[in-house]
Amino acid sequence: MPLPAARDWRAASVHNPSMSAAPTIRVEGLWKVFGPHPQRLVGSPDADLSRSELRTRTGCTVAVKDVTFDVAAGEVFVVMGLSGSGKSTLVRCLTRLVDPTAGRVWLGGEDIVAVGSSRLRHLRRTKFSMVFQHFGLLPHRRVIDNIAYALEVNGAARDVRHARAHEVIALVGLQGYEQAFPEQLSGGMQQRVGLARALAVDPEVLFLDEPFSALDPLIRRDMQTEVRRLHRDLGKTMVFITHDLAEAMKLGDRVAIMRDGAIVQIGTPEEIIAHPVDDYVADFTRDIPASHVLSLGTIARPLATGEQAAEVALPAATIVRDATATILAADGPIRVVDGTTEKGVVGATDVLRLISGEHR
Amino acid sequence: MDIHPLSTRGACRRNARPLAGLPGLALIVLALAACGGGVNEAADTAASPAAEAPAAETETAAPEPTLPDCGDWGIAMHAWVGYTASAQVVAEVAKNVLGCTITQTTLDEAGTTYDAMEAGSVDVIIEDWGGGRWQEWVDRGAIGEAGLNGNVGLIGMYVPQWMCDANPDIADSANLNKYAEQFITPESGGKGAWYEGPPGYTTIGEKMIAANKLNYKVINTGSEAALIDLFTKAAKNETPALGYFYEPQNFLAKVQLCRINFPANDWTDAAEASGLTDYPETPLVKLATTTLLESGSPFATLVQNFSWTNADQNQVALDIESGMSPAEAAQKWIDANKDTVNGWLAGTGASVE
Amino acid sequence: MTSPADGRQRWLTLLGRRWVLIVLLVVVWWVLATLLRGIHTLSLSTATDTWFTALLRELTAVIRGNRTESPVFIYLFNPIRVGIEGFIDSIRAVISVPAPGNLIPLMGWLGTLAVIALIVYATSNLRTAALCTALLLGCLVLGMWTYTLDTLAMTLGAVALSLAIGLPLGVWAGLSDRVMAALRPGLDLAQILPTLVYLAPLALVFLIGVASATIATMVYSIPICIRITAHAIRSLRASPLEAATAMGSTRWQLLTKVQLPMARRTIILGINQTTLAALSFVVIAALIGAPGLGKPVVEALIIRDVGDGIVAGIAVVLLAIMLDRATTAAVVHTDEVLDMTEHQRRLRRIGLVVAGLATIAAIIASRYLMWAAVVPERLDIGEQVGRIAGTVVTWITTNLGFATTGLNEFITVTVLNPVEGILANAPWYLTVIMISVLAAIIGGRTAGLVAVCLLTAIVVIGLWNDTMITLAQVLLATVVVMVVGVVLGVLAGRSTRVERALKPLLDAGQTLPAFVYLVPVLALFGPTRFASIVCGVFYAAPVVVRVVADGVRGVPAEMVEAATSAGSTRTQIITKVQLPASRRSLMLGANQGLIFVLAVVVIGGFVGAGGLGYLVIVGQSKPELAGKGLAAGLAIVLLGIVLDRIAQSGGRSRPTGQDRWAPGH
Repeated sequence: MPLPAARDWRAASVHNPSMSAAPTIRVEGLWKVFGPHPQRLVGSPDADLSRSELRTRTGCTVAVKDVTFDVAAGEVFVVMGLSGSGKSTLVRCLTRLVDPTAGRVWLGGEDIVAVGSSRLRHLRRTKFSMVFQHFGLLPHRRVIDNIAYALEVNGAARDVRHARAHEVIALVGLQGYEQAFPEQLSGGMQQRVGLARALAVDPEVLFLDEPFSALDPLIRRDMQTEVRRLHRDLGKTMVFITHDLAEAMKLGDRVAIMRDGAIVQIGTPEEIIAHPVDDYVADFTRDIPASHVLSLGTIARPLATGEQAAEVALPAATIVRDATATILAADGPIRVVDGTTEKGVVGATDVLRLISGEHR
Repeated sequence: MDIHPLSTRGACRRNARPLAGLPGLALIVLALAACGGGVNEAADTAASPAAEAPAAETETAAPEPTLPDCGDWGIAMHAWVGYTASAQVVAEVAKNVLGCTITQTTLDEAGTTYDAMEAGSVDVIIEDWGGGRWQEWVDRGAIGEAGLNGNVGLIGMYVPQWMCDANPDIADSANLNKYAEQFITPESGGKGAWYEGPPGYTTIGEKMIAANKLNYKVINTGSEAALIDLFTKAAKNETPALGYFYEPQNFLAKVQLCRINFPANDWTDAAEASGLTDYPETPLVKLATTTLLESGSPFATLVQNFSWTNADQNQVALDIESGMSPAEAAQKWIDANKDTVNGWLAGTGASVE
Repeated sequence: MTSPADGRQRWLTLLGRRWVLIVLLVVVWWVLATLLRGIHTLSLSTATDTWFTALLRELTAVIRGNRTESPVFIYLFNPIRVGIEGFIDSIRAVISVPAPGNLIPLMGWLGTLAVIALIVYATSNLRTAALCTALLLGCLVLGMWTYTLDTLAMTLGAVALSLAIGLPLGVWAGLSDRVMAALRPGLDLAQILPTLVYLAPLALVFLIGVASATIATMVYSIPICIRITAHAIRSLRASPLEAATAMGSTRWQLLTKVQLPMARRTIILGINQTTLAALSFVVIAALIGAPGLGKPVVEALIIRDVGDGIVAGIAVVLLAIMLDRATTAAVVHTDEVLDMTEHQRRLRRIGLVVAGLATIAAIIASRYLMWAAVVPERLDIGEQVGRIAGTVVTWITTNLGFATTGLNEFITVTVLNPVEGILANAPWYLTVIMISVLAAIIGGRTAGLVAVCLLTAIVVIGLWNDTMITLAQVLLATVVVMVVGVVLGVLAGRSTRVERALKPLLDAGQTLPAFVYLVPVLALFGPTRFASIVCGVFYAAPVVVRVVADGVRGVPAEMVEAATSAGSTRTQIITKVQLPASRRSLMLGANQGLIFVLAVVVIGGFVGAGGLGYLVIVGQSKPELAGKGLAAGLAIVLLGIVLDRIAQSGGRSRPTGQDRWAPGH
């Protein structure tokens, strides 16, 4: 589909996030344990038991286990995991919909875990907002009043909040549906309302909890594109939860992979595909077409003896898929350059092997 | 494209208030009520109708304007037709001749009604069978006796007449065991079935069986309707049945029953009965709240004076059972017995012509 | 070919099966009960007091003696009574009771009818308003107008008070687990508490009359209101709540802007149920002096006037349908308004204005014109209807009496007497032990424990034998109800046509006051325990049919399709798919059937059932037996808890195949 656009978006936002001066969100040693005496399990060796064993022994479930990460301003940070991996609990801890058992969540220099309830409400009304898997729209309110809800509970006057609601309605392409009720809209349109509602307060951070899982595949793709566009236009920091690795790869500047409540790997999509940290990660990156994620720089190899490199040179950041035609057309492995430095060569065999999956 | 066909661009608010006009309507109604007039004005000079049946009362004659104010009183209505007859006659005279406002409330006998009298929701029991079971309420000053009502009650155990015709000796309680086998039903566990009176009635069947060593088992019928049904069928189909009944009760005029005679009565308080002897003949009593008795209302006088015979009661009861409304039946009797009624009215200054 | 080991294995499995164990136990029980027949049955004559009933009798005397003097009465109970009386009487003064010296209340029948129609129109639509008007006119031509309005006034007053208490409590219980936990025992008890049981204690404190009747009605309807409201709040979809929280709503904002609006539909359904419950109770409350349609119904039993009772019963049903439709339509209405075009909306506004003006005209007319003020006598066909109904019933009872007597005797001899023999004519300890063991097998250890404790309590208060006589009838009635319920329920669940045909019957059956059919039942079966069983079946069957039909309808279509494509016959589909798959509904049906049967045990006392029901009734009319009546009420409640425990946990605890084999849990 619209490849150039995708690449532009990717190119615009792939800074080196870890180098960013002040992270918007910093999560330190976050735990969430459900069950009796949850505190006891934090940091204890018992927490490493298997879930069923832990459950029979203590009656507890560790949903989030010692999670630490930073999210830079403007970054799209994706948390990916299978169901039951704790990702939904994690995002709820970040917004205090669920109170964490231990740990800190810094949001713009303020520890969310420690703030009082009225300050928390203020933050929720102004600083961050959330999009939900099942939309969470209020069925008894029209689209416009759904979108204006956060402004309403913050005490904004009716015309002020409606004016703002109309702005975001235009932003997500919902014009003409202002007076409809949620149940009159299709799922995709409902989630647009959810997005608009989250954007209405002009938050610094947007949390999206599997926002597209409940949608049909085609609509899901549209919505993913929509999120990319919004991110490009608005530059919001986003924490995006998904169980779909392809979606994670497509949207994330960085991806955190969760398993049994803990993060097993954090990295750019390319890092994760190229260097899966263990078999678990490798196992489900297998279905991702590596040529769509990996860049030439990652798969470049030194020129073999007796091999003749072609004249053609491509930048190391080029995605393999985009370089395929050039490589196949060249009369030998092409050269990969990063600025002026030569990173190695990539030949037709390398590309074919990558595409056929033998590379891993 | 993404919207359902049923959607509209409706401008209506979800919380539209369909009831917005109602407060206004309520105001109008209140205003109308305040200005009075209408059919009520016409009614003000007429006798007050009973709450239950305003339609029936609209054409009754106005009482003498010089009568002392009668007031607003309640008569307890009990289950049996005989009671209805007595109470209705008193109610009709009170309403139509004395101009009282009378509410008739159906209540269970005894305790229930005494409580209601203490609460002030009814004022009169026109026929009470219980020998002094009201004492507790009298002691508290809630209720007073208002004399005898002229009827004499007699409770007893009865069998359908055909049984006495076939076996004359059955009427003697000493021979009951001889016939016990005939009365066996699936209900009675191998003994004769002894159908006992309804809950509120004075019953000593258990004691009688024990004391006379009868081979019978008490079956609590629960309602008079059950007894009437039982005897009706027993008489019609010539099946055996032994059950509780009493007079005055106009049912006895329709279905012939034969009374079983126990040794002569020697008790008045059922609680102290030995069970060996028969039920007593009970002169039936009128009860009234002390409020009524001390009110000086002509209604109090009427209640205290009221007295008639078993035959009088049966006559009205029979009319009611054969389809007349109680009010019609009572009026018919009043019209036919003006002297008796005027006797009750002595001292009130009112009378019927 | 089976080896001996296989055989032994099979025996063990068979013993492991619950029903085999139960059958064995019952056989043992029966043998022991026959051997020990008539020993230690604790049977007691009606007039005999036990220590407990004597205590209660003294207590009632003390309460009665203190009603005018004790500060509790002067400062608490009496003001409550006076306040409620005043409230109800003020409603009645508008529609049903003329002021002293007046001919009509605030308005005549035409005005009242018009106001009711207008209110229904304003809250729903013209069609419902027309239907409600027609139903009320039905009550009017039956000659029941004043009674109907008295009942309406009582119902509306009681509902208003019930909602004032029930809605806030329900919302609170919906929001807070702690409040729910605190209320739950009361709610559970209210569900199994037979209505007639608490009339006597209430009348003792609040005296006979409107106040007691209203409070009794509230006791009956408030738990229903709380239950449904709490459920409405609790069953809301989680995600909008989460979203609203995440957007920084305060708890109050969450409640008023999200939870209450979202729960509106269910809450109105709760109001609907509260209203119908209140109506059915107001009719029964005639026993303690409630005005209205209950009066002719109760009188009909007493003077054996079938016709009048049936006419009043019909009026109750008409009124129930009216209240049901009016409240239901109010729910549907708000959704309809959303889909209205501007034009339709304008038409409706005009319609409302016209209707308002017509109502004012009707009110004025009803105050000045005699025909509009007082129901003209020639409109009253109640007497004719009553006579016809009476004739029909008489015909049925005289012509069917033959068959019914036979049935009655057959069932009594072959089933009821043996069951009662085991329960009531055996030593009490044998019965307590056996019931408790059965309870433990069917309902688990807790149910067994509850059974032991409560049954022993019944022995201690001294009403053991009467309780067992009642239990025998309750069990038999429940079995019959289940058979009827399953047969009709399966038919209705499988066919919409049957369902539609049954619906009016079920509606009527659920709203018809039980007193109405006592007289015909008496005429058919005489004063027997079987008559009481028949009453119980009549009363409980509609509910069970509904529950079972719902269950059968709820079986996923794929399941039936799969079975059909596997070549099942219709009987096989019913017995192997639909019934097993709706097992939960069947258990619920059994539980409901049991509770409903128990609720009319007291009524059975009116038709010769004996046992606890008779004691409750006799206690209400004979002061010297008041203690026994109250104790019998208590025994019914205890018995109800035991039965409910067994039936309820029986529905829950039985492991399904899935539970057993589900991996990893």
